[in-house]
Amino acid sequence: MVGEHVVGEHMVGGHMAGGHMAGEQCHAVRVRLSGPVAVEELTARLAAVGPWRLWVEETAVGSGEPVARRLGAAELNRPTQSVRCVLLRHRDDVADLVVVAHRAVLDREGLDRLTDVLVSGAAGPLPVPSAAPVTPPSAAPAPDWGGGRRGDTSWGTRALDLPDSPAATGLLAALALTLHRYAGHGASGEVRVATDRRGALRIEVPADAPASSLRPAQPTPTDSTVPTGSPVRPDNPVPTGSPVRPDNPVPTGSPVRPDNPVPTGSPVRPDSPVLAGLVEPAAGDRTFRVGAPAEYLPCLAPPFPLTLALLPQPAGGTRLWAAYRHSHFSAGTVETFLRHLAHVLGQFTDATPDTLVDDIELLDAAERERVALLGRPTATPPGAPERITDALAKVTAATPDAPAVGDGTSVLTYRELDERAEQVARGLVARGITPGDRVGICLERTTELVVTMLAVLKAGAAYVPTDPAYPADRLAHTARDAGLELVVTRLAEYPADAGTPVTPDDLTAAAGQAGALPTGGSPDDPAYVIYTSGSTGRPKGVVVPHRNVVALIDATREDYGLGPDDVWSLFHSGAFDFSVWETWGCLLTGGRLVVVPYLVSREPGEFRDLLVRERVTVLSQTPSAFSQLLETDHAPLVVRLVVFGGEPLDARMLLRWFDRHPEDECRMVNMFGITETTVHVTAQTLTRELALAGSKSVGPALPGWHLYVTDARGRLVPPGVTGEIRVGGAGVALGYLGQPDLTAARFSPDPYAEGRQYHSGDLGRLRPDGTLEHLGRIDSQVKIRGFRIELDEIRSVLLEDPEVHAAAMVVRRDDPADPATARLDAYVVPADLDTAGVRKRAASVLPAYMLPATVTALDALPLTTNGKLDAQRLPDPVRAAPAAPAPEGTDDAALVLREIWSDILGTPVGIDDDFFELGGNSLLAVRISAALRGRGMPAVPLRDLFRTPTIRALTEAGRHA
Amino acid sequence: MRLTGKTVLVTGAARGLGRATALACAAEGASLALLDVCDDLAGVPYPLGTKGQLEHTATLCRKAGAAVLSAACDVRDLASVESAVALAEDRFGRIDAVVNNAGIAAPSGKPVHDIAEDEWALMIDVDLTGAWRVMRTVARAMSARRSGSIVNVSSTAGLVGYRHFAGYVAAKHGLIGLTKAAALDYAPTKVRVNAVCPGSVRDDATAEGRMLAEIARALDVQVGEHEQTFTEAQPMNALIEPEDVAAAVVYLVSDDSRQVTGSVLTVDGGFTAR
Repeated sequence: MVGEHVVGEHMVGGHMAGGHMAGEQCHAVRVRLSGPVAVEELTARLAAVGPWRLWVEETAVGSGEPVARRLGAAELNRPTQSVRCVLLRHRDDVADLVVVAHRAVLDREGLDRLTDVLVSGAAGPLPVPSAAPVTPPSAAPAPDWGGGRRGDTSWGTRALDLPDSPAATGLLAALALTLHRYAGHGASGEVRVATDRRGALRIEVPADAPASSLRPAQPTPTDSTVPTGSPVRPDNPVPTGSPVRPDNPVPTGSPVRPDNPVPTGSPVRPDSPVLAGLVEPAAGDRTFRVGAPAEYLPCLAPPFPLTLALLPQPAGGTRLWAAYRHSHFSAGTVETFLRHLAHVLGQFTDATPDTLVDDIELLDAAERERVALLGRPTATPPGAPERITDALAKVTAATPDAPAVGDGTSVLTYRELDERAEQVARGLVARGITPGDRVGICLERTTELVVTMLAVLKAGAAYVPTDPAYPADRLAHTARDAGLELVVTRLAEYPADAGTPVTPDDLTAAAGQAGALPTGGSPDDPAYVIYTSGSTGRPKGVVVPHRNVVALIDATREDYGLGPDDVWSLFHSGAFDFSVWETWGCLLTGGRLVVVPYLVSREPGEFRDLLVRERVTVLSQTPSAFSQLLETDHAPLVVRLVVFGGEPLDARMLLRWFDRHPEDECRMVNMFGITETTVHVTAQTLTRELALAGSKSVGPALPGWHLYVTDARGRLVPPGVTGEIRVGGAGVALGYLGQPDLTAARFSPDPYAEGRQYHSGDLGRLRPDGTLEHLGRIDSQVKIRGFRIELDEIRSVLLEDPEVHAAAMVVRRDDPADPATARLDAYVVPADLDTAGVRKRAASVLPAYMLPATVTALDALPLTTNGKLDAQRLPDPVRAAPAAPAPEGTDDAALVLREIWSDILGTPVGIDDDFFELGGNSLLAVRISAALRGRGMPAVPLRDLFRTPTIRALTEAGRHA
Repeated sequence: MRLTGKTVLVTGAARGLGRATALACAAEGASLALLDVCDDLAGVPYPLGTKGQLEHTATLCRKAGAAVLSAACDVRDLASVESAVALAEDRFGRIDAVVNNAGIAAPSGKPVHDIAEDEWALMIDVDLTGAWRVMRTVARAMSARRSGSIVNVSSTAGLVGYRHFAGYVAAKHGLIGLTKAAALDYAPTKVRVNAVCPGSVRDDATAEGRMLAEIARALDVQVGEHEQTFTEAQPMNALIEPEDVAAAVVYLVSDDSRQVTGSVLTVDGGFTAR
């Protein structure tokens, strides 16, 4: 049914005075009359049908003048308690007759008849309204997708012309379904809509029911009868707060309401807040019979935040008309909504008995294309696909003697980096590595790490980075899962069953035995495999090809002005893909990469010193790490670009940074990304303005990346609506290593472009300007201090313990406003478990950041009625018991330390309690250091805390004697 | 346009500040109910606004694009006020703002002991009680709507004394007191009440104002001499123009001043700052 739609604005919006919208139960019509008008005759006709007077206004201008239009709009939008007729006489023998009526006095038919009486002299009494309008239900809060301006009391209108005349009854169902779809992910199975006659109505929207079954859940009264118990008050139609002028409320002698319409009782309480509704849905087949062009306004203020009406047009077709409050909706949102509503309405009209609710599409093909394009930036996509090694070779050829990478002890030029990597690569080839193989790398953050990564690529293989700090179990799992034959490491205690360990020195020594390095690989070959937390209980390897990395750098190089003058820090573990950005972002743009040793990266003061000393210009940080850096004296930094990634950013924390580093000196960019889409997806440059507003935007997609937000069936949802984030384009990984089924489930063909799209499992919404808001994980996956953690993975590890019968994991914050206090609490069954033992066994498998801070044993886990875990009803965790009070004579330093630790850890602390067992982490350690400094005591370096994590050990070591 | 959709009722609208205020409201998109006594009052020694002057104000407002209702109204008569307000509510549905501008400057020009009882009563009746009558007539509906703005045109004579103008000074001081008390009465229902205190306003020819001339006459001085004295007395060394006062009124009528109530806004070139 839906053909071409024209969106047009045909009326200026008005202001709603205070909390009262006098016009919401009024409607109005304007008729243009040409030629001389006999005022006396009009007055007489009016007097014959009601006790109303004709107001005559001489406009002093021609009918086409802006002043005339303004006056006409003012009269059309002026509410009344009964009926008002105004004749605007223009100087050019043209007049506008404006009739405004309260719906309790004249309904659509009555207004039509009165206009007919005035214009054509028809006779006869005016019809009684078949039912009075009810007090509108209260307004639902502004929806996230509405784009409204909070506090704006004005309103506007929009309209869409439909080629035919759908049944008004279908409009209610179509509106309910459209609203339901707009409610987005996690919407309940019912929606509330309203009509001016019946108030709020509940409509259930079951996905697998026939479309024809969408009906209000309460009995449907006919328009001519008032059901008992309904909120309609036939004797009391005018809302309180608007006293009717007693001498002039209703036409005497007419059959209209003989009783006094002044309210006598308390107003009807709206039964539930409503976002959208219809006015006069049953009058949709009525057109004005007058022979002159008439403009009908269904309400003078929207009784519902979004108020809709179907208006048959004299020339055929129907106008879908909307009045909306600016506090709830933007004009653009309403225009889009009307298009979607019209599309849904057409499908309802055409529905067969087999058409299911879920089969009805919100977006037509053109609309899908429009929304798909919204998720792509207008900037040109990156250049031709290329291997990392080929791109780096160009840089090396251009600036062979420029510094490439250093770690404080040594600096390599691009030529030296190339030569060293070549040697190691030959060693790999000598050890039997061939193109397509995977090589493990488990090295500390040094220049050697960078050399080795490049060497693996030069050998035509893909590198599989792990962190030397990982537990042996996880190293072994990765090596087995990736089928690693060779792992480059210096770990003395590298697990025996996790591939053959080999040092970089061994490989360099073996270089001479190899022939030429392989050539001619494809940009589509895997470059690296990075393991991420997975819902299957074990980490899974994400395979990323060369071309993705080169595309990522190409997508950012120009915008951020990346070049040879830049100095980048390599702050993150090779096993965290943020380091892919740091490493190749620097080297492929000719910059100097400064490797940050692990312990320096954990010590904000030392890290600051390094940034100043090395004159780092491009800094990549998780917000948690950056907040630690903000605690230091960061004024001397010469950073010109900060890139955030890894976890959600609260932009407000940047204000302190902007105080010292204005936006024009240092650009701050928040990037949302996923390992499966090559580090980043979107980029939002942050400003002081956005920081003050607490912006949640993560920006538009990078050039070459495509953003989609979809419903559970993978259909695009409209801008502003919450759904699953899907990512297509240049960054999509090849898949999960050795997991074709999972790969097929999470990577699917991109319906709107070449290639595939990745189903992120993240919730988000695409704003009308193409920027993304990231709203967290759909499933239980969480991020703590930048680490992606699958709670189910920890739970499955706990359940591997034969003593543990059931387990549950929750994330809590001691201070809800402070992400640094986030903590993993484990619950295990049965109640007599040795919780310390459970934790210890888990510690042998899980990395420290995944280890529960507390383990609490219960008789049973609380469940909801649906049999799911009821996390709300889990008791407070049992913390590790503090040791006995310190003996008398303990020195002052220990007392102060206990006080500070107890305060910051939020639990009583004994002098033998382990900082990390009590839930301590690097962020809290920084706070302890700050508190110590505040009391004039030396701070405890983090490395000391790692070695001696109890107060007794710290004080005995004499550091605080 | 700051007053689109609003209806403003102005008393004393035939000329002077009333006309300037009505025009300024029309230019901001308001609809207007224009009231004036349209008659001379016994005891007032100079001619008051006429029906012709009121219609001229209405015509000027219509040319500016406003819907206008004009009516004669004597603020000394509660029934007259109620009937005019009822007519305006019938025409426009509601009154969003009221500008209590009607007032007289004379009989004046004598010390307290020479003021006759009826002269005193007349001055208080028009300049103070008249504003109260309009206020009590419109405020109930405004309160029910939880919206409305009332602007009382007082004077610098509401803040300081003037020799030989005891009745006028007392009435204008009283009007400020009424403003503050009413502001507190209606603050809970979001109806705002404020006062504007003009200094010496020039008698603009097109606005047909004659306040300054009548004050000069009451003091038995030449108009030019009086103008000179007050120009020098106002630190900005100029007389106030009617539009300056109208702009202050528009601000107080508009939602720009939505948190302003009980305030006294002087438009006096710094006269009372001394």
